Amino acid sequence: MPPEIKPQVPKDNPGLTVVGQRQPRLDGADKVSGRSVFTDDVVLPGMLYGKILRSTHAHARIKRLDTSKAEALPGVKAVVTAAHATGMSANSTDSVAKASKRRTGKTIKLKTGEAIFADDVVTYIGEEVAAVAALDEATATKALELIEVEYEPLPAIMDSRRAVRPGAPQVNAEFPGNVWSQDIDNYGDPDTAFDEADFIMESKFEAGVTHNLYAEFHVALVDFSRPDKLKIWTPTQTSYLMQHSLAPAFGLSVNQVQIIHLNTGGAFSGRGAVRPHHYVAVLLSRETRRPVKVFSAGDEEFLIGRALGKNRYKTRVAADKDGTLRAFDMTCEMDGGAVGNEVGYFGWMAGLSNAWMFDLQGNRFQRKVILTNQRPNFLGHGGMMVSSNCAVQQLLAKVARSLDMDPMDLLLKNAVEQGHTGLSGEVFASCGLKECIETVRRESGWNDKYDKLPPYHGIGVAVGAMAAGAKGAFKHDTSAAMVRVGEDGLITVYTGIPDMGQGTHTTMAMIAAEVLGIDANDVQLVAGDTDLTPIDIGAFAQRGTITTGNAARNAAIDARDQLAKYAAEKLETSEDNLRFAHGRVSRVDDPEQSLPFKEVTWGTLNSMEGRFVMGRGFYNSPLPYGTTSWSFDAQVAEVIVDPETGQIDVLKVTVAHDLGRTINPLAVEGQIDGQVFSAMSQVIYEELVTDDGLFLNPSRLEYKMPRTYEMPEISHFMIETNDPYGPFGAKEVGEGPVVVAGAAIIAAVSNALGGTLMPEMPMTPMRVLKAIRASELEKSRSPSAA
Amino acid sequence: MAKHLISLTINGDTYEDLVVSDNQTLLDVIRGEVGLKGTKRGCTTGACGVCTVNDANGDAILSCMTHVLEWDGEAITTIEGLADTGDLDAIQKAFVHYGAVQCGSCTPGVIMSAKALLNAHPQPTEEQINEAMAGVLCRCTGHVKVKEAIRNAHRIEEVVSHAAGD
Repeated sequence: MPPEIKPQVPKDNPGLTVVGQRQPRLDGADKVSGRSVFTDDVVLPGMLYGKILRSTHAHARIKRLDTSKAEALPGVKAVVTAAHATGMSANSTDSVAKASKRRTGKTIKLKTGEAIFADDVVTYIGEEVAAVAALDEATATKALELIEVEYEPLPAIMDSRRAVRPGAPQVNAEFPGNVWSQDIDNYGDPDTAFDEADFIMESKFEAGVTHNLYAEFHVALVDFSRPDKLKIWTPTQTSYLMQHSLAPAFGLSVNQVQIIHLNTGGAFSGRGAVRPHHYVAVLLSRETRRPVKVFSAGDEEFLIGRALGKNRYKTRVAADKDGTLRAFDMTCEMDGGAVGNEVGYFGWMAGLSNAWMFDLQGNRFQRKVILTNQRPNFLGHGGMMVSSNCAVQQLLAKVARSLDMDPMDLLLKNAVEQGHTGLSGEVFASCGLKECIETVRRESGWNDKYDKLPPYHGIGVAVGAMAAGAKGAFKHDTSAAMVRVGEDGLITVYTGIPDMGQGTHTTMAMIAAEVLGIDANDVQLVAGDTDLTPIDIGAFAQRGTITTGNAARNAAIDARDQLAKYAAEKLETSEDNLRFAHGRVSRVDDPEQSLPFKEVTWGTLNSMEGRFVMGRGFYNSPLPYGTTSWSFDAQVAEVIVDPETGQIDVLKVTVAHDLGRTINPLAVEGQIDGQVFSAMSQVIYEELVTDDGLFLNPSRLEYKMPRTYEMPEISHFMIETNDPYGPFGAKEVGEGPVVVAGAAIIAAVSNALGGTLMPEMPMTPMRVLKAIRASELEKSRSPSAA
Repeated sequence: MAKHLISLTINGDTYEDLVVSDNQTLLDVIRGEVGLKGTKRGCTTGACGVCTVNDANGDAILSCMTHVLEWDGEAITTIEGLADTGDLDAIQKAFVHYGAVQCGSCTPGVIMSAKALLNAHPQPTEEQINEAMAGVLCRCTGHVKVKEAIRNAHRIEEVVSHAAGD
């Protein structure tokens, strides 16, 4: 059991003045005016332009690579190949591997590194073969055409099912049979549960290849003209991991690497690691001693993106006739692509997350990562949890149907509550899952609609949970923050957490403003530059609000305590008899006695003794191996399926999310909207179609996402459970909703087709038509058919 | 590659004697020769809409798909030109107020598309919004708050002062 801790504020009467207000983003005016600087907007004196030559073969031996003509082209300043990157690999997850061993007793196998350039053999289309730096982009492009590569094609393996058959071509000689890793994660006692349960149901589900489709494309600007300082401008979710990956590769210590991440144009779980193009830009800058920018345009963006690969699930659920869920057993074959990457780790997370919502006896996740000659894979928005939850939640609807039970009742019967200890030892210090379910049931009009809608009109429900914080995946989960107090009463918060659009910088400002009792608009941010900001592991694993938020709160409390001395003297009271609120510092016992905040800051910083006020704060989960807090979520989707065309029209999505406490309702709504969009996009539209490893739709026209006219009505309900660990009770809202929205939509489509399980995502029109035929066949075979 | 001298008026400023080459796009010149970085470079194939600017009629154009030589002597407005008197334009204020901005990378293109719509239809219908905004991709917002901002841009002063008075 974790230590009993008191919430930071009371649940129902927290006395908050800033937290909970609709606060427009502090960088909003800059972003709408074109003033916000993104990496591609930065031009340095003497800057060169880099371009990367990529493999055109899925599997081939490089027989000859001749860069001499490119080197001779006027304007070309450097050409680099594998020879310049000996012993180097793009690897950012060592610490994850070490920490996970402590938690699970076994090391989760992660990639040992993705080559910067193919050396002898290329293993996928798009793999880096050589790169050029030139005075301008046109010259760099021309130079690529002058590089001569002679390939000897080798047999390639494109499908993970075929890759494991005897005699299949080998992607990497180190992994015979193309099995990169194979693990079974057991939690609780799944064997007994499956033996003793009244019945078992099972299903198969597949999810396709994706790209995260950030608005800002992959780009890196590197200045390594000084041998002892490596400066990198790039969009990222983690400057910390980038520093730790790049420093050893280039013989530097961590703080000789400066990451400047300015604004990051979307990430959606995909920018949490270093990639070969980062190293390529460094190599080119090292060769030329000039700044080099590498930008990916057009279809190249799809080649270098690392998102979800083909995942094939088999799901089994053990249940009793009274609707008690006993255990899950999920098997997943993951196409790791040519490298393997960290996908095994994401499978581990999906396995854990399947069980968080339910009081189960056992849970098992069997994961096999298979190498193929496809693009190396990584994370989509919501990790693998969007697709794994689609598989689970559809099947639960079927379980309910088989028991003649309303799926809502099934979920409510098995839902966890506050204080529940999960199968891997996690304790839910706050939990509003049942309230979420009851809220969406009421607000969606579920009872009037479920099984009462006309044919091809369906409604579906799904639930989910999300860990907030990276402890357990990392050895420590530290964020630090500093709060500088100006004599004019303006506050500066220093934070290393990247803002990729989620609004975390504004959240930090609001948290500091709440503590100091001032307006959030009187807070400025210094962020996005590792030379200026304190440690922060990054914006992933839903750690921003809870971890960095607590660090910002602690720093602001430290600053407030320093200001309290002057205020207490002036108000002739003790320091613990002060309240900071509404821009004033007042006596708790006599609120009429007060000073303007700005007078306190001016007085403190202009005292005879001279003072400087800089609050320092940090936070790391107090538990040894795990995070403290989970968000919970329930959603109902309503859809209409056109039986003629197979098109799905999502009418409405009702979201109830237990986020602990709402810091900024405006941002929370935006997070939920974006995640409903993303989940809908993943389950209905997004798929990179490949033919022998070649993407057939590497364009924003052909790789489809929902357009304005396709978006459903979305209603948001924020369930506040006041988590004892969270800053002012807050947990997360950055990833919880996305893993539920997709599952709710797919459950609704399944419901529209009379309960036929949808076997695959995205649910393209062709697949929907196939499912309709399958459902008609099922009906005609059933004995009750007329 | 042949070079040409053209003139271009951007946000009311006339750039005479811009040296451009045959294959340059309007986007290249706005970001490169002129150095205004608010207009973003995205797919460069006309698919994502982040490079959208307005022409002299206030219509939306994709600057990455526009051959700059054909625009000799023309006038355009970029995102920087909307607030050139200092105060934000109504659509910019609405985007901030309604939370229609997240990562901000597509925002300049989204706003210039919205501005073109509002130039033609100050109080657009839902259908007009959907049609005008269908060409810009925004993953962060799911379009929801973008549409809310566009719907309310015509009355944003009233909305903002009401919110401040609350």
